[in-house]
Order: sequence, then structure tokens, then C-alpha cells
Amino acid sequence: MNNLPTIFSFMQKKLYLLSFLLIYSFCNLNAQNNSNSKRIYGIVIKGGHLIDPKSNINEPMDIATEIATPSVMGQPAVEPRIALIAKNIDTALALQVVNSKGMYVTPGLIDIHTHVFYGHSKTDYLSNGSIAVLPDSYTFRTGVTTVVDAGGAGWKSFPTFKKNIIDLSATRVFSMLNIVGEGMRGGDFEQDIEDMDPEKTATVAIENKDHVVGFKLAHFSKADWTPVERLTKAGRTADMPVMVDFGSGNQSLEELFFKYLRPGDIYTHSFCYVPGVREPIIDTETKLVKPFVRKAQQNGLIFDIGFGSGSFDYRTALPAMKQGFYPNTLGTDLHASSINGAMKDQMNVFSVFLAMGMDIPSIVKAATWTPALTIKKPELGNLSQGAIADLTVMSIRDGDFGFKDIVGNRQEGR
Amino acid sequence: MSKVLRKFTMRKISILIISILISASISNAQGKLYNTLIKGGRVIDAKNNINALLDVAIKNGKIAKVAQNIDPAQAEQVVNAKGMYVTPGLIDVHAHVFWGTQPNSYLMNGDVGVTADGFSFRSGVTTMVDCGGPGYKSFEIFKRNIIDKSQTRILAFLNIVGEGMRGGDYEQDVSDMDYRLAAKAAIDNKKHVVGFKLAHFTNPDWTPVERVVAAGKLADMPVIIDFGGGKLPIEDLFFKYLRPGDIYTHVFTELERRDPIVDLKTRQLRPFVIPAQKRGIIFDVGFGGGSFNFNQAIPAIKAGFLPDLMGTDLHTGSMNGSMKDQLNVLSIHLAMGMDLPSVIERSTWKPAQAIKRTELGHLSEGAIADVAILSMREGKFGFRDIAMNRYEGAKKLECEMTIKGGKIMYDLNAIASNLSR
Repeated sequence: MNNLPTIFSFMQKKLYLLSFLLIYSFCNLNAQNNSNSKRIYGIVIKGGHLIDPKSNINEPMDIATEIATPSVMGQPAVEPRIALIAKNIDTALALQVVNSKGMYVTPGLIDIHTHVFYGHSKTDYLSNGSIAVLPDSYTFRTGVTTVVDAGGAGWKSFPTFKKNIIDLSATRVFSMLNIVGEGMRGGDFEQDIEDMDPEKTATVAIENKDHVVGFKLAHFSKADWTPVERLTKAGRTADMPVMVDFGSGNQSLEELFFKYLRPGDIYTHSFCYVPGVREPIIDTETKLVKPFVRKAQQNGLIFDIGFGSGSFDYRTALPAMKQGFYPNTLGTDLHASSINGAMKDQMNVFSVFLAMGMDIPSIVKAATWTPALTIKKPELGNLSQGAIADLTVMSIRDGDFGFKDIVGNRQEGR
Repeated sequence: MSKVLRKFTMRKISILIISILISASISNAQGKLYNTLIKGGRVIDAKNNINALLDVAIKNGKIAKVAQNIDPAQAEQVVNAKGMYVTPGLIDVHAHVFWGTQPNSYLMNGDVGVTADGFSFRSGVTTMVDCGGPGYKSFEIFKRNIIDKSQTRILAFLNIVGEGMRGGDYEQDVSDMDYRLAAKAAIDNKKHVVGFKLAHFTNPDWTPVERVVAAGKLADMPVIIDFGGGKLPIEDLFFKYLRPGDIYTHVFTELERRDPIVDLKTRQLRPFVIPAQKRGIIFDVGFGGGSFNFNQAIPAIKAGFLPDLMGTDLHTGSMNGSMKDQLNVLSIHLAMGMDLPSVIERSTWKPAQAIKRTELGHLSEGAIADVAILSMREGKFGFRDIAMNRYEGAKKLECEMTIKGGKIMYDLNAIASNLSR
């Protein structure tokens, strides 16, 4: 195994979403069961193994949700909350019971790195373009209730993003505004420093703070710190985190981490491997995780996966994981080029990390409580009483499975 | 300036030619006969009446050979399909993929459609037919925004309504059902248009049916009918209006407003349904968000009636509901007692014939290399119809790989080897 392994073949386990519950979908139960007054819970999920990283719960527990208030225009008037977690909840108290025996019950997953600003504008990339995808087609089937669009919209295009995507999606959609006013339109647009206005970007973020959770810089190709400076300025002005895709300027990671980013900021595509284009987190000779990278993580920098179609490489991932350097968040970088490739979906990303030795509670944490705290939405990503009742029920399949990285090579067993 | 440019271009072209020659000579020297070899799977190919353990070799986007024990050394890439089923790429004749940002436009450039590529390849589907999203007025937008931008092969049933499936009053407007203009648009775009759709018409009036069939006759294409809510008798539709080869969709619906195929009182299949099928009327499932009911499907299948086509009626209202995707629809029919070759035939060769695209839906040598590789999971699975009735099954299909035109579009468990040239 001295040469570079690029794939984990035939691992024994794969996470599989068995069923998923978003509270939106059962508002109508109210009417059917009004006659029975002793039913005080909307849903009781019975017999599952509950994982709630926030509260360190990792054991068999039942969980009950509040009864949803009658819906208005298909959406609940008030979002139902978690009502109770207990060893044994009486199913007679519930309008509906879910049998989750042999399954894991977790908070609804949060994918911190997606591209959901789909559209048919002429410049056709990740801002109102057809390289993005529509959220509802990819979220619920893979346990995700909340997605963060990572820089699709800029301050100029946020109103379109809100109208076309946020308002029309059943998925909870947040935005990290691109520091580029035009958003992620690709090509020269993203190289235009003139269009990176921290004040205007921060203003739109603050005005839309129900939907905007931070700022994104991506795809900048020159060795120039100005875009990072503008980005962090927007972050400080709005008191929101920033996420950096470190482009292709091959600048110093150490400088980025310690001179520019703050604790709570996000470095994405952590496990990419493109030396000479972007500095990897591991030393290309020794394969050791660079000491300053660990130090940055200890200081509170968030390392996101952002798997995508070009950003997860076993040449970085395997040595890093072996040395105990785990990512903080498991963002998918969902877009049209990753949905059918090596990435596929949130559950596949989970399974890839399970195959590399990350345990289930750590994986769940990296897609629930950690991203919730990172985007400063502590009402999400946990199952405390009073938390928003977003829940995922998943099961684990045993068998022979194979995974690929973005280089697409497959390791044959030798 | 232009001289420099020309010189540069010439040089680029000569480099290109040289590199093509080099690569050609290399591949000749090493003698790889095939690009991709699918090894060890059970091939189910209804057109050629094949249901056997065979290897499938692909070259230049076409099926090159289907035979036992093809030598893996002859292929650049080998796909290990042991224990899996190898079928033609699936054809979903009933999808709604005309997503767009036009407000209140339903399935015509509106937000109820879905984008094809997120649903096709992961379910073994290589071809989707949009079922009446665009009308003749909106086909151009459909082509530009959807057909040209999708990796999935997208075909269309043109709506008989000029405005297409915009919902509400648009679909009730008989004066916008111009069969001549619809037929003209279909003929002008016959590379993409395979027929005509009528849907959602609510009045007891045969005019829309007459118009859609007239368009079908003019263009020599089939029509597909969603039989609205006029409570007109389906027996008349099958025997007086439709031609053999025309399609009746949502066959297992049980709605107050529509004449059902299974009698609501006796729960028996009505006597004229099988004769209609014998006459050549094609019956599509069109599962959707409101059109598949076990109370219709189970008695009908028990009485010996099998649907001809396994259309999903994919849209935002069905993708996360009981329908989910093409393979879930096939699995439900397996649970109700249909066998695997039957459901595969009804999502490959039968739809190819129904839409007159007989170059698709089979694995004959020389055919377009659209292939689905499926595995059958065994366990305890639950299925629902749109009325939330539950039904259990012991088998469920899973898509392992989808190949379109020789290109691997989806590989669930990394069963393809590295390339070796």
C-alpha cells in the first residue's frame, strides 16, 4: 500500500436512508384525528437507535414530535418541535407511529455545501444556471432537511435566488452569498475584484439574515489576497462566517488560516489534491498532515469536505484520516457534475467516510450539530426538546460496496 | 492578425491529426477490440428473446457483441456484473422534465417539473419522454432549456394545447387545441417529438380527443391520453376514438371523476379492457402523485391484465412520494406478481415500439449502447399507492450502473475497472 491508493473497494458497510421524515409532510394528520383528545404527539418514532451529538446521546430511545398546527398554503403555520425523548413513549399518544427498529434516528441532516441555484440564464454555471440542481430532488431521499447554497447567489442575484429557489423549495435552503456581486457565474465574473463589494454584500446579508448564513469566495485564480480580504471584511461586518474555495492561485494555506480566517470560518475542499494549483493539507512527500493544519482546526477553523466532482481525492483523504485528521463537516458540493459521479449524495459521502474508519456518531455530528453551529442555527441539527422537528431515519446495509474518488481510479484487490 | 490566427489554427489542427494518428496506431497495436465489456451478468433483452448469462461488449457507443465468455483482455474497461441483470437502458414514456422559472406555469416551464439527469441515470433510465409539457408554442424553449442541456435522451409528447401543460384554464381552452399547428411542430421536430398528449380536460366533451387524434393522424404519431374529469366512458374512448398504438395512461387510477378499468362495486376488471388491449390500445401506468391505486392494480393484474408501459409520471409531486423513481415502479409491479422479464420488457422494448424509436430498447449488435445494470435486493420492503395503502414485497431493484451511448453515466458501487488501453 505504498503507492497511492485511490479507492476503498468493497467496504462492508453502507449507510442507507430507509425513510425520512420532515414534519411538513404530515400536517394533514391533525384533521383526521381531532376526535381523539389524548393523542398529544404528532409522530412517535419507536425503537430506533438515537444519535444526537449535541446531547451525546447514542443509545436506543423513542422520540416524539409536537402535533403540527394546521397548514397555511401547504406549509405549517408554526414549525413543530421535538416534544420528548424517552426510553419508552406510549404509542397511543401519537397520531402516527414510525417503526424504526434496527435503524438509526438522527437530527435532519444539514448539507453545508450545495449548489441549488438552478436556472436557465444564459451564463450558465452555478448562479441561476443549469450546472446547479434543484434541492428537493436530492435532499429528502438522502436524509437532508437543510442545505446551504455555497456562493451561487451574489448580492445582485439574491432576490432571484429567493424567489426561484428558497420560496419554492420544501427543503430549508440557506445561502452563503458570493463575495462576487454577480454570484457564481463562472469565467471572468469570478475574477472581477471590482465586483467584490464587502459593504453591499454584508448589507444584503443582514437584510436577509433569515436566509443568508455567510459568505463564499471561490474559483479565484490569481495569487492575490484582495478577494480574501474583501470576503473576511463582509464576514466581520455581518458577523457571519466565510467559506473559502481556495481557487488556483497556489497561495500559502498557512497564511490563509492564520492571517485571514477567523475561528468559525470554513475551509472547503479540504481533501483535494492538486499540488501546484492549490496547496494540499498534507505534505506531498511525507504524506503527513501539515502541523499548522491541525493547529488551525484546534483553533476552531472548520474543515469541510465539499466532495463535488473535483475535490475529494484519496491521495489526501487516506493519509489524513489514517493520521486522525477528520473533517469537521461533510458537505457534498452537490451539483450537476457530482450527482451521478463519485459523490452521488450525502449518504454516499457518509459511507465513503465510514469505509475510511470514521464512526457513525462522528459522521452524524459532521452533518448535523457541527454545521448547525457553524451557520449559527442552533435550533437545527439536534434533538433537544424544543428543537425543530427535522429527523432522519436511516439504516445500515452490510455487503460488498465500492467507492471512487474524483480521479475515478479503482483499486483492484491484489 | 488573421494570418497569425490562421497559422495557429493550422498548427493546432496538425497537432490534432498527429495525435489522432498516434492514438489510433496505439490502439491498433494493442488490439483492444472493445471499449467496455460487461462481464458475468444475466442479459434480459425482450426484443431478441434473451434471458441468459451473457457478456456484452461495447465499441464506439454501439453494442458490438453479446456472447458467452468474451475475453476481458480485449476490452479497455471491464464491468463486473456478476449476480446482476443487464438490460437495455430503460425508457420512461411518462416524465415531466420541463422545469422552468415562469410563474404559475405548472408543467410547462414551471416549478412542478423536475430536471431529468437527477432521476434518470440513478434509476437505469437513459431515455425520458416528456409527457405533454410543451405545446407547439413552447417547444422551442423546451428544446433550448431542457433537451439541449440534458445528458438524458429527452423526447416529447407535444401537448395538443398550444400553450402546453400550463394548468388551470389553459388546458381547458379548446380553441387553443390546433391540431394542424401541433402536427406541423411535431413533424418539423420529429427528431425529438414522438406523439401528442391530451390531459386534464374536465368537461364531458369529445372535441379535445378528436383534435389530439387528428394531430396524431396528420403526423403519423401515437397519442397519449390522461382522461381528465369529464366522466366520459373509457369504452367509447378505446373503441370509437383511439387508434391501435395510441396510449391510455394512468390506467390504475381510482378517482371519482374518471371512469375506472376495475368496477368499483364488483372489483372485477371490466369486460372491455382486455379486448381494448387486444385491439392495440397501449396501457401506461403513469403512477405520479395521484394515479396509482392498489384497488385497481391488484384486481386487474389478477384478472390477467398487465399494463404495457411502466411510465412513472415523474414530477415534484411524485418524486418523494409513493412513486419515487422508475425502479420503485418496477419493484411494485414485481411485488404484485409480475416477473422481472415482464417489467423489463415494459420499460425497454415495448416503450421503444410505442414511441416508434425501435433503435432503442434492445441490445442487438449494432444498437445504440444504452444499458442498465440492475441488482435485485432481497428483504422486507414496503410500498404505498397514492391513497397510502401499504403493500409488502420481498424484492427490490437497485441500479448498479447506467450506460448511455457507450458512456458510463452512473456507477453505484464502482464496478467498472480502470481504463487500460
